[in-house]
Amino acid sequence: MTAARATASSAVPAPVTAGTGTASPAIRLTGVGKQYAADGPVVLDGIDLEVAPGEFACLLGASGCGKSTLLSLIAGLEQPSTGTIEVDGRAAVMFQEASLLPWLSARRNVELALRFGDAGLARPARRTRALDLLDLVHLADAAEKRPHELSGGMRQRVALARALAQDRSVLLMDEPFAALDAITRDLLHEELERVWRETGRTIVFVTHNVREAARLGQRVLLMSSRPGRIVSEWRIAVDGPRRIESPAVSELSVEITEHLRREIRRNAA
Amino acid sequence: MPHDTSLSPAPPAPPVSGRELPLAPGMSRANPAEVATPSRSSRASGGDDDLRTLEAGLDRLQTDVALRTPWWRRAIDGVLPPVLLLVVLVAAWQAYTVVAQPRPDLAPGPLDVAAALGQSWEDGRLQLAVTTSLERGILGFCIAVAVGTPLGLLLAEWAPLRRALGPLISGLQVLPSVAWVPAAILWFGLSDATVYFVVLMGAIPSIVNGLVAGVAQVPPQLRRVGTVLGASRLQLAASVVLPAALPGYLAGLKQGWAFSWRSLMAAEIIAFGGSIGFGVGSLLQQGRDLADLASVLGTILVILAIGVVIELLVFAPVERGMLRRRGLTGGTP
Repeated sequence: MTAARATASSAVPAPVTAGTGTASPAIRLTGVGKQYAADGPVVLDGIDLEVAPGEFACLLGASGCGKSTLLSLIAGLEQPSTGTIEVDGRAAVMFQEASLLPWLSARRNVELALRFGDAGLARPARRTRALDLLDLVHLADAAEKRPHELSGGMRQRVALARALAQDRSVLLMDEPFAALDAITRDLLHEELERVWRETGRTIVFVTHNVREAARLGQRVLLMSSRPGRIVSEWRIAVDGPRRIESPAVSELSVEITEHLRREIRRNAA
Repeated sequence: MPHDTSLSPAPPAPPVSGRELPLAPGMSRANPAEVATPSRSSRASGGDDDLRTLEAGLDRLQTDVALRTPWWRRAIDGVLPPVLLLVVLVAAWQAYTVVAQPRPDLAPGPLDVAAALGQSWEDGRLQLAVTTSLERGILGFCIAVAVGTPLGLLLAEWAPLRRALGPLISGLQVLPSVAWVPAAILWFGLSDATVYFVVLMGAIPSIVNGLVAGVAQVPPQLRRVGTVLGASRLQLAASVVLPAALPGYLAGLKQGWAFSWRSLMAAEIIAFGGSIGFGVGSLLQQGRDLADLASVLGTILVILAIGVVIELLVFAPVERGMLRRRGLTGGTP
């Protein structure tokens, strides 16, 4: 029987301690704030967060809460206005669009990441590694196809293989399945969970889909909007594979949704 | 608002049949045992294979089977309509000359034109003119590519220069390159340099503009992905930006060739004599001097045919191949 146990605790203002607490965290954010202009709105405010190595954390919030900005900061694509960010090595990133290079086959797209990265692999070794990674996401047969010959779900799996090719311990995902249909998304949840277990990556997964967060995360971090803060956190003890239709997942979703709505309502005034 | 809830695995609920309905908030149904048991047992015995076949099935459902028409079919579809139209036009022209009997020096028939071309072929002028012009056109175009490509890249990647030089380049593209002929003759005299100068002034702005437009249309997300994947500046330019800009660049090259060829003809017609060799434009001018309309019309057809042949043999296959590789063909080849 699938089961998930969740405990929620306030994350503000006390810093969140890492789940296992044994190793040093893979990601550590201290007092991170972001403001694009001095007189502009505060996008992120006082974010303290630690993510343990190998943890699967979901960052959940309404549109415009700054969760994608937070991800960009962790990825190093943007710099925080205040606070510090420490990431164990650099992070690999996956976006909502697969963003594959349309003139390259699936295999060559993955090889490109190996070439850009500092892996220093020779061409035949890159080829073998790329095929292995495509096999990991069950796309070995489509290796020579070009992106336009693949479905949206397949493209996203190639993007996942490409992100894994970077061989970085941290994987940041920015609503990677938001544009997919429900059936495909459901399958990719299973796929991602399997890949996560097999590769032991630390994953920060940004989503605005409550069920997706409850389905995937070991931790669900709820963000408030304007300014973006982490307001609640749920830890889910996963002792078996979950499914989106599992009662435990839907029960947790109900609870998180209530919190989310409360946060959204605060903006009405 | 600190709170602590502990979520126990779903409360028992009456079993429901296989159909899944969306759950309203606060509602909980489905028998955990019924939902969980099959997935668990299948997972125990190779859940990976289960997922693999499931995904393979979905992948098959979501990808179209590529229907590729055989090459001979595409060749017939592409070649037959223009050839038929050509035959009909020539036949109508011949019918007009036979029926209306116009003065042959003002409206020569297709046979007269063919005879005039045959005449210039026999005395070797046609071959000489075509080889001279093609040689100049191709060489001039290659020089234009060699100059225009780095210039275009520089403009595309360096915004201040683009803002400064962009309007000038666009203006040069609009300026008919014939306008340069008098100046070129005064500068370089009646030499090949005059011809090449005019060709370059015609072709380079098109190539530069095509490349700048191509780079400007590269989706920002592709650059972002390149950065995220750890590409250096050079790697980003060579492996991401340039290939992504290829469609625009190719369009610029195509237009650059058209402008080269036009400018060449204009230069050859106006600049005549001196050390300038005998090109197709010169042949045209010669026909005019002799008031030989059949020869003039024949030469126009030759100029047109060379343009069509270059387009069909060089640019069209390259462009088609590129678009097909990127899935940009709009269904029809």
